[in-house]
Amino acid sequence: MTDFQQHLQIITRRVLSLERLWELARFQPNDAQREAIIHVDGPLYLTAGPGSGKTRVLLWRALNLIVFHEVLPGEVFLSTFTEKAAHQLQEGLQSLLGLVTNLTGRPYDLTPMYIGTVHSLCRRMLSDRRRFSVDRQRHRPPTLLDELDQYFHLARNRTWTEVRQCAGLEGDANGIINGIFGVRSESRHVAVTNCLALFNRFSEECLDSDHALYRLDNDASSLRNYLQTWNLDREGLSLLVRLYAAYRESLRTGNGVEQTDFALSQQEAYRIVETCTGSDQVFRHVIVDEYQDTNTIQERLFFKLAAGTGNLCVVGDDDQALYRFRGATVENFVEFPARCHTYLGRAPRRLSLEINYRSQERIVDFYTAFMQQANWAKSDGQDGFYRVMDKDLVAHRQSPLPAVVASTPAEPTDVCAEIATLVRRLLDEGKVGDPNQIAFLFPSLKYRGAMLDSVRRVKEALEAVGLRVYAPRAGRFLEVDEAYDLIGLFVHIFGYPPRADLRGHDYQAYMEWLQSAEAQGEALMHSDPLLDGYVKERRAELVRVAQDYRALLRTAESHHWDLRAPYDPDRMKRPLYNAHGYSDEGKRLLASTYLDRVVRERTAKGQPFTLGYILKRVTSIDWNVLDLFYRLCGFEHFKRMFDLAERAEDEGPVTNLGLISQYLARFMEQRVPIITADLLVDKLFQKLFFGSYLFALYRRGETEMEDADDPFPKGRIPFLTIHQAKGLEFPVVVLANPRKDDRGPQRVELLMRPFLEREPGEPLERLAEFDMMRMFYVALSRAKNLLVIAHYKGKGQRINAPFITLLDAGFPRIPTFNLNALPAAQEKDEALPKIYSFTADYLTYKKCPRQYMIFRGFGFVPARSQTMFFGSLVHRTLEDLHHELIRRRESHE
Amino acid sequence: MSENYEQEIETFIQQVFEQNYEELRLESGQAVAPDVRQTALNQVLFYWRKLRAIAEGVTDTEVHLSLPQQETPGGREYAIEGVVDILREAGRTVMYDIKTHDADYARANLKFYEQQLNVYAHIWQELRQQELDEMAVIATDYPEAVKEALASGDLAHLAYALDQWEPVVPIAYDPHRVQATIAEFGAVVDCIEENRFNPRSVQDLNTVLPGTRSIRFATRVCRNCDARYSCAAYRQYAWQPGYRGVAESKLRHIYGEELADAVQEQWRTAGLDAAPDDSGLRADY
Repeated sequence: MTDFQQHLQIITRRVLSLERLWELARFQPNDAQREAIIHVDGPLYLTAGPGSGKTRVLLWRALNLIVFHEVLPGEVFLSTFTEKAAHQLQEGLQSLLGLVTNLTGRPYDLTPMYIGTVHSLCRRMLSDRRRFSVDRQRHRPPTLLDELDQYFHLARNRTWTEVRQCAGLEGDANGIINGIFGVRSESRHVAVTNCLALFNRFSEECLDSDHALYRLDNDASSLRNYLQTWNLDREGLSLLVRLYAAYRESLRTGNGVEQTDFALSQQEAYRIVETCTGSDQVFRHVIVDEYQDTNTIQERLFFKLAAGTGNLCVVGDDDQALYRFRGATVENFVEFPARCHTYLGRAPRRLSLEINYRSQERIVDFYTAFMQQANWAKSDGQDGFYRVMDKDLVAHRQSPLPAVVASTPAEPTDVCAEIATLVRRLLDEGKVGDPNQIAFLFPSLKYRGAMLDSVRRVKEALEAVGLRVYAPRAGRFLEVDEAYDLIGLFVHIFGYPPRADLRGHDYQAYMEWLQSAEAQGEALMHSDPLLDGYVKERRAELVRVAQDYRALLRTAESHHWDLRAPYDPDRMKRPLYNAHGYSDEGKRLLASTYLDRVVRERTAKGQPFTLGYILKRVTSIDWNVLDLFYRLCGFEHFKRMFDLAERAEDEGPVTNLGLISQYLARFMEQRVPIITADLLVDKLFQKLFFGSYLFALYRRGETEMEDADDPFPKGRIPFLTIHQAKGLEFPVVVLANPRKDDRGPQRVELLMRPFLEREPGEPLERLAEFDMMRMFYVALSRAKNLLVIAHYKGKGQRINAPFITLLDAGFPRIPTFNLNALPAAQEKDEALPKIYSFTADYLTYKKCPRQYMIFRGFGFVPARSQTMFFGSLVHRTLEDLHHELIRRRESHE
Repeated sequence: MSENYEQEIETFIQQVFEQNYEELRLESGQAVAPDVRQTALNQVLFYWRKLRAIAEGVTDTEVHLSLPQQETPGGREYAIEGVVDILREAGRTVMYDIKTHDADYARANLKFYEQQLNVYAHIWQELRQQELDEMAVIATDYPEAVKEALASGDLAHLAYALDQWEPVVPIAYDPHRVQATIAEFGAVVDCIEENRFNPRSVQDLNTVLPGTRSIRFATRVCRNCDARYSCAAYRQYAWQPGYRGVAESKLRHIYGEELADAVQEQWRTAGLDAAPDDSGLRADY
């Protein structure tokens, strides 16, 4: 630290104290919170119950370090579970630091701070040439494939064939691969999906394929026993490891550029930290939120980063661990004290946040009692528990009033009707202000892409009392009405793809979906003659350019011109222009003076266009799929949806349209940025769009709504999976299906275990029970004022054991529940203040509120975002220029 | 410093420009046409050539300014944020906001820039207690004269045109307006939080923009907005005055609006540049 910084530090302390800031920000920490905030030296093990003000603690901890303990923002590594959480923390911190700056005059720049998800931070480390580079060169990190990209990479013909061959498989061996996963199917899609789930797990456990194969060939009786117990086959396991090795190779070499996936990028970051000297000192404080959902490679990375300072702070709640199926190992959290000994040679300070500020007392009591229904003691004669036991949650909102209520135990239809009536009353009597404050939570919403019956029943019961739901993960995204509408019109414009040589359930179902969409498109066209005319004109336009392309091709052939040869306008332009059957619209493009100029420029530079390029160019359509999307949105049927959102009556339809625009944008980015006639003549476009891209989305049941966007659309009741509700809270929560069946350990878990290089942790046969307990715990602890539980009874109905015990004869039931005593829901008051940008928010809103709503609010992707691209390009380069000039000046001085 | 140095910096600009372009292309999956890309590069190069004294004097770049703990008329707490560049030299401090707009437009719309920079100045001076002597907007979009000179390829002509160009638009400090602007900002935050998203009025759409001879709001803003087809205000604007066509021709009127040929051709170039190799597409799907 320079003298100047020290000087600032002294001034800061003199004029300001943490307590003074708390006062100004109207924050009154409890004792545990205070201790957690001011702990600055050595490892900290912070257990944080639901609603215990964890976010504020993280915020103030970071602030305390930066303002009062000489820690530069760039020396803080703070990892969160979602980008949204990171964003909120950053906004809150920025806002508080702004307050400090205004009191002391000392500015803080948070840009160098490492704050984000582990994935994004790993990515950042890979390109941080200043701190994590051996040779100080600017490294271009490998291109990152997100989950959908990763699927498209492995599922494409070329890669999949190559990978199977590398692994030593002959011919079409999808059936063999699926067999190892216990599935009878010949489908490539199923094989790819299964493989990727396992591969990601392999990567997270840092599996070394050579070593794994060696072990399979040479291992002792323990492996034999394991394989026998779980009915697994050694050869099958070996094949999967070889496929994994081949997959990794395909990322290195496929596509011309090096690629990586989420799981592997963590390994790459770890390797950099390992090889780069001093990297264990880069961050003076490593803080990890939601530590119960971290995996093996992440744990290694965190301890490595903190090795130099010992300042590793982990925050979490093992009771809320949800992500085993993604490789999370809750033991990382439960066993943290022991791991600290191993890696850092010291014990962490243990603090526990136990005061719950979210829920009514009765709700806290209920979920505490729920958790005690399971036996968490370790088996096999080991001491201890699979759970952090010494937590004693206390509700801040003490009140004897009932806040948990169950339905009358009955058949599902009756239960749903009873709950729907209650919900109606909650709204009518003003206990909640908007339907979006009542969340319905389910263990899952769909099976194989289709909405579960148990979910549909509830939805129908609510609709019967005039309520609408918003269920982004229930069923396929493509099955929302807006997708039928829009894709239906696309079918009418582009025509069906040629029928693929595919059988199988999925393909049939997809083709049926496409047909229903077409029928829906037809109905829309029928009801709106203008739309009908517009669609037919577009179709005619596509036919016309395809004819033009054929006409030009014939001319080129008759002159024996090679499409790959340079285009020579002097010789070729006139014959092409006069090609028999070439339309006037097409001719206009060929005759363009702009084109003439570009052709001359390119020729002069020695990079002439090929004839093939010119043919494509002069038969290209002057709209792309997003242009088409926005134009269709102008017709009455869609326009009404925008009007509803403008009036804040119903945001559901427009939210879905925004998502559709994002899918179309991805298609444009990766496949067809511009529609050229060569793609139309043999229906390649239709194959790519309907046959490949949409079909894949359909099969994957793809929704982009991985992190629920809170707040949910106004006017609708959100239907969420419990996973989706993680980290959220609602005035009213309805646990609409308290049932999760034990199907034994997941296949991926079974296939992974023989290769684990660490203590295996919780016994396989108890995983399902533990996971069930934790999942329902998360659901129950989301409620602020009222928790409603559906109690199903009757033939084929069951609810999980802890509920049977707890919902006994004396339990409060809906018919006798007194609504008057229930407090009305408040607008979120404890929300962190939001930051609004002068340009991106204020000026953009002033320019046009509607445009602001659509693009910034609902995330529509503009069809032509060249202005944005242009602005970012200029600004980034100017910033680099200034940095360079500052650097030069400083080195000069 | 030598000519060599100038050349070095220009080479540096070209290099980082290429890197940034590639990064953005990968991030967004989009491309821009070569001439648009050249324009972007020129904006940076000309900034360097024309405003070297400023560029070299910048001491803090991308400074985040924040005005926390504001309250909207509706009682919501929020913070205002902005980003500027700061130059400190010989006891003088200047605040710059670099925009890719053109300077004539900026001069004609001084009001908005004054509002913005005055709030930033308020944060800087009143809250941070730091000196501030001047403020200015730097408009990097170079004028027609420079474009013509570029097209002519005549270096003397270009040098003259650059010399005539005035990209720096000084902004007056006027503390009286700050509170009004902040109040207006707060009202906008309330509107956003209360979901008030009506489009601008038809009258606004018809307004000729200051600093232009005849460009209307609708031409500059709406024509670049994909959501215009579904926008009640824009439709009404497009069909007046006395546009009596039947529904179908009304529709054609909006949907048939053509972009300038050059714009459309640039778009075509960019699209074809970004398109993946189609033999690859064919083999894979």
